Amino acid sequence: MSVDYQPKIIGFLCNWCSYAGADMAGTSRITYPSNIRIIRVPCSGRVDPLFIAKCFKEGADGVFIAGCHPGDCHYVEGNYYARRRFVLMGSLLEYLGIEKERYQVEWVSASEGKKFTQLVSAFTDKVAGLGPRAEGQ
Amino acid sequence: MDENIINQIREKAKELLSSGTVECVIGYEAGTDGMTSRPAFIYEASDVERLVFDNTCTHNLATYLINKKTNKVAVVVKPCDARGINVLLSERQIEREKVYVIGIVCQGVVPVSWSGSGKDLQMRCKLCNQHAPVIYDFLIGEPAVEPVPTVSPWTSVAEMESKSSAEKTDYWNKQFSKCIRCYACRQVCMGCYCKECFVELLDPEWVGIKIDTSENSMWNMIRAFHLSGRCIGCGECARVCPVDIPLGLLNMKLAKEVAEHFEYRAGLSAEVRAPLATFNKEENLGIGE
Ligand code: SF4
Ligand code: SF4
Ligand code: SF4
Ligand code: FES
Repeated sequence: MSVDYQPKIIGFLCNWCSYAGADMAGTSRITYPSNIRIIRVPCSGRVDPLFIAKCFKEGADGVFIAGCHPGDCHYVEGNYYARRRFVLMGSLLEYLGIEKERYQVEWVSASEGKKFTQLVSAFTDKVAGLGPRAEGQ
Repeated sequence: MDENIINQIREKAKELLSSGTVECVIGYEAGTDGMTSRPAFIYEASDVERLVFDNTCTHNLATYLINKKTNKVAVVVKPCDARGINVLLSERQIEREKVYVIGIVCQGVVPVSWSGSGKDLQMRCKLCNQHAPVIYDFLIGEPAVEPVPTVSPWTSVAEMESKSSAEKTDYWNKQFSKCIRCYACRQVCMGCYCKECFVELLDPEWVGIKIDTSENSMWNMIRAFHLSGRCIGCGECARVCPVDIPLGLLNMKLAKEVAEHFEYRAGLSAEVRAPLATFNKEENLGIGE
């Protein structure tokens, strides 16, 4: 693996919490790797497993999803439904040969800017450590 | 062929049709190859002699209920197919009052293909622990002591799980590269009733028309996912796949996850919601720890 390998990571962040958390990290000038391309979604429940599959199909090295803590979803129940899907999708991806380190789901609130940057940094390191995805993966 | 079962099916069908209780009886008739059976739609009491039942009755006739919602119909089901009826009922796709279920206590079916039938039982039958239907209006056969399957349903899944990522990628790429996206696996499945399937959407286009393994993988991955917690394991999708992609190995993986995380098996009751259509606030499922 070349030293300058930079993984491409897609981040799906819930507008009401994690996206605001990422915003907070930005305004507080906390730095974190720029490998993550953030897509704002109205709720973690909006993240259709199709999105995740499509990211990997189009060559993403990692997919990071963050939503409101259980109990704090703006739409009350979105993340409760979502986490069931995420857990099944994660096992399916792994079963098809996508390392489980390439996929992570977290709960991050609007006030957890610091936590957001820590999670993203650790995730980026993990994905970078795996190296580029294998041909045809 | 078990004459006793056949006679009972015919008698019941005749009674239901001549009394006007149902518009149609969906059952099985002998195929033109003289070896296997095929689905039959009987509308006249005078046609009930066409109905048969034997170990080549592999089709899951619950699938046809989706296109027969207007008038009441009767359907012949094996225990596995009966679970499909429960799935359709719990998803509000059919109404209980409009379906008359003729349940058969089943001894298993054999592999059936265009070129004939096998001798050994199908895998789903070897794994079966429920030879009496979970839902019926009229039962044919004696519910015996339930068999204990000697094979674990998860053996082949565990074998796949133990492979490395590279081996898994390689295996599935080889399999999916064969897919011609004929969608027979979808058409035959009682759970694939969407009027608009994601695979045919053009905007956004989730699966491109390009002939490419990665497009096939998208299809196969999401099809399996859409059936998670809903697939009753009838094995029909894999049976009709013209290029023998082991779709059961995918479906079973999800069934295993669903069993482990949610202690759920699809179709046992029409009253319970599928695991992805509900939630439990207390569970954390290992996310965000
Ligand atoms: S039946 Fe087989 S070849 Fe046809 S779409 Fe399904 S997996 Fe592909
Ligand atoms: S694959 Fe999914 S979208 Fe297509 S018919 Fe089946 S359940 Fe519906
Ligand atoms: S996915 Fe296959 S095995 Fe499962 S219910 Fe549908 S046709 Fe049957
Ligand atoms: S609104 Fe944030 S997870 Fe639902």
